[in-house]
Amino acid sequence: MTRRVPALMLLAGLALPSRLGAQEAQNASLRRAQQAYDNLEYRQVVPFAQAALRERLTGSERARAYELMGFTYGAMDSILKAVDAFKQVVLIDPERQLDPDRTSPKAYSAFQVALGQVLLVRQLRIDSTSFVGGQGAVPIRFTVTQPARVITRAIGSAGTFLIDSGAWNGQVNLRWPLRLAGGDPVPAGTYTLVVDARLGQNTFSASRPIRVSYGSVDTLPHLTSLPGYQYLPETEVPPQSWRPVGLAFLYTGGALVGTVGLEGSNLGSTTGRELGIVGGAALVTGIVMMLRKPAAQPAEANILYNRLLREQLARRNEDIAKENLARRRQVQLTVVPLPKPAGTR
Amino acid sequence: MRPVVWGVALFGVVARAAPAQEVSVGPHFALGDYREVTAGLHYLGTGGGGTLWARYHRFSAEASVVQLQFHPTTGSTPATAGFTATQVDAWLAYDVASYVSLEAGITRRTADPAFNAQSVGAVRAGARAFYGIGPGAMLVFRVNYLAAPSFTGGGRAPVALDLGLGLDVRLAGHVHGTAAYAFQRINRKVNPGGTGEVDAPIQETLARLGVAVGF
Repeated sequence: MTRRVPALMLLAGLALPSRLGAQEAQNASLRRAQQAYDNLEYRQVVPFAQAALRERLTGSERARAYELMGFTYGAMDSILKAVDAFKQVVLIDPERQLDPDRTSPKAYSAFQVALGQVLLVRQLRIDSTSFVGGQGAVPIRFTVTQPARVITRAIGSAGTFLIDSGAWNGQVNLRWPLRLAGGDPVPAGTYTLVVDARLGQNTFSASRPIRVSYGSVDTLPHLTSLPGYQYLPETEVPPQSWRPVGLAFLYTGGALVGTVGLEGSNLGSTTGRELGIVGGAALVTGIVMMLRKPAAQPAEANILYNRLLREQLARRNEDIAKENLARRRQVQLTVVPLPKPAGTR
Repeated sequence: MRPVVWGVALFGVVARAAPAQEVSVGPHFALGDYREVTAGLHYLGTGGGGTLWARYHRFSAEASVVQLQFHPTTGSTPATAGFTATQVDAWLAYDVASYVSLEAGITRRTADPAFNAQSVGAVRAGARAFYGIGPGAMLVFRVNYLAAPSFTGGGRAPVALDLGLGLDVRLAGHVHGTAAYAFQRINRKVNPGGTGEVDAPIQETLARLGVAVGF
C-alpha cells in the first residue's frame, strides 16, 4: 500500500488541470500550494491551501484553492474530503467542468458526487435564433444537479413572462415561443432569462441576458419560370410531302372526270381549254407547294403544354402573392444571447 | 340590271360581316365555251368580271359576275351571230366539317340579243370541298345541283349540274391570284307545239383567272 500511494499521487499530478498551471495566483499561500501540488508534495498542499483560504482571496482564487484541495484529497484517497472541497468549488463556480480525459478517475468521481450533492443550475444556454413570430421558438438548455422545482422566467422592461414551471432533474430542454397569452409576440427589448431552482430550503438561480429584436419577414420573389420546365415552341415545321401535288391531281382529276362524264354526245366534247388552264394552274401550284418549305404549323401538344405551364406559373405566383401578403403582416423575431455582466452567475 | 342589284346587295351583306373575319374582292378575266341543242351550235367567248368572297366564322359567301362576248366557232353552221352573256352566280355556304361546306345559291345567265341563246336561271344546292395545299394556297372542288331551272325559251331540265374547280393563292401580302373552272350541264327538254319532248341541252364551260385583294 505504501508503494501504491506515490504512484497514485503521480497519476493525480499528471491529471492536474491545465488551468491551475496556466494561471499565476496572486496570493502567496495559494502560490505555494500550487507549487507544492506541481512538485507532487501533496502533504503540503492542504495546509497551504487552507492558509490561503483564511486570507482575502478573489472568487476564482478561492475556487482554485478548494480545487487544489479536492485534487489532493482525491490523490490521497480522502474521497469525502475531496467531495467537500469540490462542493465548495461548484458553489463558487457553478460552471466548473472537469475533463474526464485529463482528470484522475478518483478526482472526477468525487467532483461528480459533489455536483449531485449541491443544488445548482448549470450550463444555461440560449442559442441565437431567428424565426417568424408564431412559427418557431427559442431553445433554452440548462442542467439541474438535483431534483428540484424549477421556474424559468424572462424579465424585461416590458414585464415578466413565465416560460416554464416544473420539476426537473438533469438536462432540461425548453422552448420559448416568444408569445404573449394573446398570441402577440413579446415586445422587443433586452430580457434576463432567470432559472430558479428550489429544493426544500435550498435555492439556486442562474440567469442569462438576451436581446429580442423585430424585423420584417423576407418576401418571396415572383417566378418568371418554373425550375426544370421550359416553354416549348408553339409551331413546328412539318416534313415536306407529296400531299399538295396529290391533292391538286385529285381535285383536277375530279373536275376532269366530272366534265367528261357529264358531257353529252349530242353536244360534243368541250375543248378542254378552260379546264386545262385552271387545272394546269392547280397542278403547278401543287408542285410549287410540294417543293416549298412547309409553313410552320401550330403544335397543339406544345401549345397545351405551354398553357398548362403558364397556368401553373400563374397559380404559383398567386400563392406567392398570398404568402407575401401574409408575410408582410408577420414579424421576424431575432434572439441573441448577450454576454453576462461581470460578477453575476 | 337585276344581277347587278343582286351582286351589290350581297356585297353589302358580306361587307358588313367583313370585320369579323375575311373578305376578298377582285376582277378576273374569263374564257367561255357554250353549246346548245346540237354540237354545231358552238360558241367561244372571252370577257371579264369580278368576284367577291367573304367568310364569317363558319359561314362564307361568294358572288361572281362575268360578262362574255360569245362568237360562233368556225364549224358552227347554225349560228350566224354571237351574243353577250352576263352570268351572275352567288353562294352561301356553311362549313359542316374542316374541309367540307354545304352551300346554296343562285345562277343566272342572260343572253343579249335574247334570241341568240337561252337565258337561264336556277337555284343552286350542293357541296364543296376545300383544302389548303400550302401557305396561302387553297383548292376548292364544287358540285351543285341546279334546281328549278327556268329558260326564256321554256322547257324543263330534270338533270342540271354544275361542277367547279377553284384555286386561290396568296401572291404577296393581301394580293391573291385566283383561278376558277366551272362546267355547267343542263339537260333541257322542250315540247314544241305539244308534239312531244325533245332534248335541247345546254353546256357551258367557264374559266376565270384573276387577282383579288384580301382584307
